[in-house]
Amino acid sequence: MTDRAAQVRSAAVLSDPQTLSTTPAALVEAATPQEARREGAPRSGGPARARRASSGRPGRRGRSHVVPHLVLGVGGFLMAFPFLWQIIMSLSTNAEVQSVTPNLWPAELQWQNYVAVFERLPFLDQLRTSVVVTLVRTVAQIVLCTLAGYAFARMRFRGSGVLLAVILSILMVPSQVYLISQYQIVQNLGWLDTIAGIVAPGLFSAFGTFLMRTAFLALPAELEEAARLDGANPFQVFSRVMLPLAVPSISVLAITTVLWSWNELLWPLVVSTYSDRMPLSAGLATLIGDKTTDYPVVMAASLLAMAPVLIAFIVLQRRVIDGLAHSGLK
Amino acid sequence: MSDDTITPTRPPAVPATTPPAAQSPAPRRRVLQRDGAWPWLFVSPLAAGIAVFFVWPVLQTAYYSFTTWGVFGGSTFTGLANYARLVVDPQLWTALGNTLVYTGIVLLGVPLAVWLASLLNTPGLRFASFYRVLFFLPYVAMPTAIAMVWRIIFNGDFGVLNYLLGRVGIEGPYWISTPGAANVAVALVGLWSSLGFAMIILGAGLKSVPPELYEAAELDGATPWRQFRSVTVPLLTPSIFFVLIITIISSFQLFDLQFAILGSQNPVLPKSLSLVYFFYQQGFIANDKGYAAAIAMFIFVLIGLVTLLQFRLQKKWVQS
Amino acid sequence: MSRPSSAPRRGVRRGLSVVSAAVGVALVAAGCSSAGGPAAAADYEAAPSDLSASITYGVWDQAQVAAIDANLEGFAELYPDIDVSVNVTPYADYFTKLQTQASSDSLPDLFWLNGPNFQLYASNGKIEPVTGAVEAGDIDTGDYPEALVDLYSLDDVQYGVPKDMDTIGVWVNEALFEQAGVPLPEADWTWDDFQETAATISEALASEGAYGGAGGMDGQTTYYDTIFQAGGEVVADDGTASGYGTPEAEEGLQFWTDLIASGGSPSIQQLTDTPADQWFTSGKLAMYWGGSWLNAAVSDSPVSATTDVLPLPAGEEQATVIHGVSNVVAASSENKQAAQALQVYLASEEAQQQQGDLGAVIPAFTGTQQGFVDSAPDRDLQVFLDAVDYAVPLPVSKNAAAWNALENADLPGAFSGDEPVAEVASSLGERMTALLEKE
Repeated sequence: MTDRAAQVRSAAVLSDPQTLSTTPAALVEAATPQEARREGAPRSGGPARARRASSGRPGRRGRSHVVPHLVLGVGGFLMAFPFLWQIIMSLSTNAEVQSVTPNLWPAELQWQNYVAVFERLPFLDQLRTSVVVTLVRTVAQIVLCTLAGYAFARMRFRGSGVLLAVILSILMVPSQVYLISQYQIVQNLGWLDTIAGIVAPGLFSAFGTFLMRTAFLALPAELEEAARLDGANPFQVFSRVMLPLAVPSISVLAITTVLWSWNELLWPLVVSTYSDRMPLSAGLATLIGDKTTDYPVVMAASLLAMAPVLIAFIVLQRRVIDGLAHSGLK
Repeated sequence: MSDDTITPTRPPAVPATTPPAAQSPAPRRRVLQRDGAWPWLFVSPLAAGIAVFFVWPVLQTAYYSFTTWGVFGGSTFTGLANYARLVVDPQLWTALGNTLVYTGIVLLGVPLAVWLASLLNTPGLRFASFYRVLFFLPYVAMPTAIAMVWRIIFNGDFGVLNYLLGRVGIEGPYWISTPGAANVAVALVGLWSSLGFAMIILGAGLKSVPPELYEAAELDGATPWRQFRSVTVPLLTPSIFFVLIITIISSFQLFDLQFAILGSQNPVLPKSLSLVYFFYQQGFIANDKGYAAAIAMFIFVLIGLVTLLQFRLQKKWVQS
Repeated sequence: MSRPSSAPRRGVRRGLSVVSAAVGVALVAAGCSSAGGPAAAADYEAAPSDLSASITYGVWDQAQVAAIDANLEGFAELYPDIDVSVNVTPYADYFTKLQTQASSDSLPDLFWLNGPNFQLYASNGKIEPVTGAVEAGDIDTGDYPEALVDLYSLDDVQYGVPKDMDTIGVWVNEALFEQAGVPLPEADWTWDDFQETAATISEALASEGAYGGAGGMDGQTTYYDTIFQAGGEVVADDGTASGYGTPEAEEGLQFWTDLIASGGSPSIQQLTDTPADQWFTSGKLAMYWGGSWLNAAVSDSPVSATTDVLPLPAGEEQATVIHGVSNVVAASSENKQAAQALQVYLASEEAQQQQGDLGAVIPAFTGTQQGFVDSAPDRDLQVFLDAVDYAVPLPVSKNAAAWNALENADLPGAFSGDEPVAEVASSLGERMTALLEKE
């Protein structure tokens, strides 16, 4: 079925007048159906194909939307339920929150809990730290992991298999194991309490390397060969040809790094001493006391801390999601 | 477009730990061999960083696993004593079992995510973006605060979950204070938080299935279910493989969730702890850092083996 | 072309690994050398008022920061050029971080320690003794409860003085007593009185899901107190043996088993899910064995108006557990003089009075505690202060966390009645003794 489907597909592509205006890369991709179906790899480019591809099924079948709405609605509610509760908790008093019989709605909306967050935490400083740390990490991971991922995917060199296995294994070990050792290394580098110290170990990601390798493996080799034959050196092949094609996977890497970095707790907590140099995640944790905790304020702080990333996701999701499914080319 | 290009020289489709040498036919080999020092330049930033920040800690951990390490330093070499103790320690096997149970439950989320992603992909579905944001919310959440909310939900006497179960006539257990139920509770939260991410990856994989294939299958007379089975799933296997690897690796790292939901004083911990929690307990609470290092090496080897196994098995079921 | 040219690359990598190995060896050596005995008291000299330094102060309670800042204002008047930076680390991670810092001698200059963790740091030479300040007369250990002062001395060397204190009493919800039709107990009540009252109230209020008393796994507020009241000990023989294997300790534990068995208390499972103090502040518990620290939470809760305090019911003897946090100076601090100056100031009557007035904790300095009592005049908070007379310090050792974990694992079975108390106690005692001997 594969070959026949491929031929059907190719025929469809070639006969569709709109695709004739798409970029050559997309056409090449149309001609290599199987590899192009790797996860994370750029998909068929061009607006027409985008429209077609965004429908998982042929739209003419006109399936009823009741089941999807029902399932997704219930599922979505379950996903969001704890957050709704968090919002309610953040607007209640501590006594209402701690009361064993749950209060579904506070007697009075305690908006001052949100004000209290700014009083008890150097929120804006910590926000800034979070943003800087996240940006640095994301950019660094994109650079490092695309370079390494490409090398593992497309370049032959002795020991690449072993090196990949070692790198993946090392980075898969839970970070608590490395805590003290890495702390001492960072301390010896003089990076305690600095952005560099917070950022450092997290610059290197097994997930990122693995993801980019998968992505590059899925790209057609012909483009590379063509570029090499044109006399480009490997770095130019990488940066001019392969990298743009891998943008969807880079988006995934970016999202995951941003989220993980934003919420990372233990390492920043241990490495930073001054609260205005901590990221939000660590600052938030300081609100949790030993014997007494002001739960509503913790909830309010958590929602405030979550907000920037959530807003970014909402705004960018269309771009991100669609980008994941199509090629990064215009 | 001549037929030549339609029968492609297949790139190494299978992400394997073996060097690409195994797959490529002659022409590519020649091209790649000219790379020379380039691969090392590409890999060296990552490798250098890892060498500085990870290689030394790994070596240090390995060394300490063969010693008895004082709380703040000062070690005496004790050879394999820690390992001998580890192998017969029932807590290790309990921890391993708990981690596997957790992993198993969270993996149930993968087929669930496939289904949900395909629903989300229904053509012309209104509010699709809204649903997507909802499902992604757990992934964005600050873990500590959310764990507190879940503690309240799981409360045996006053929690919402048991209240609802009670309405249906089921007497819910004390989730957080009963060993088996505690594992399930933590796993449910793990499942809840990872579903959104899996859906996004799988959703992207779904979108990349060319509609023409569905058309072709339809022309062949295939039912929607058959189409799903024979078109969607096979082409989705690379995405599924990816999600599986990521899920398994992060499940083996279970710690924060247990710490936050169960609490460090919880009596069920000895029976419910995960591998990493066992490490933390021995390393930072019992202050037996040599023993903890041995546990760490165990985890390291285990994850490595599991990943290797996955890569090997992948050749069998992941579509090239 | 490809193979040979990768050799230099490999050589560079090998060189890199040699370097990191060398760094590593140095780290190990550094780590090895910092182990050892207690720090010798360096020569103490009161800091001159123009001393200029920048020090860090490590704490774990965000709620006390306001009071600390007030203290620091007073400190700044004495030492205007000493800059103090307060670092709050959440309690759950405080000691993980502290250990990490201690392993590389980068502890905060001044930081909080509590009883369970004190001996570990003292015996490994990580904290500086206060003998110099005491001898110079800047600190008088007689100003603080003796039991607490003993908590922070090891091998006759004093490392710090307590900065706050808490004792255990019984918080009672008078409204629930009324509802159940049970008269309030007297201050000199006994164990039997308590058991009876708890069972009666639980029965009367069963339809509301309320209880008369509550057990739980928090030793400091429950079973340590009863063990002491039975005449037993938790850590015996100067820290080398466990006190659990004795009949007195068993009696102390049996108290709670009986309470749960009679229905006077929720089960251990229920209490793990929902801690006893939450039952109380939600109005579902009539009598709560709790610490003085609950005062703020009670005042914020719906039961505030009907809450009062009674001393613990007496067993063979009367006893309560006393505990408090201490400020200690890091032995590796580079600003020891400044840190000690702050330590001395925070232990002074002036600073302690401020702490008491601001109400976050009960200050340890005798005579400054009236602020606490006055903060809720409707309740007899004086009970907590009077309890100092018969208070016993929290049981600790060098690695208290290790045997605390054993308690957490074994005792629930005893309290719930699943296993006989005597067996659990003796087995726990044996294993705990083994741990204590290893220390």
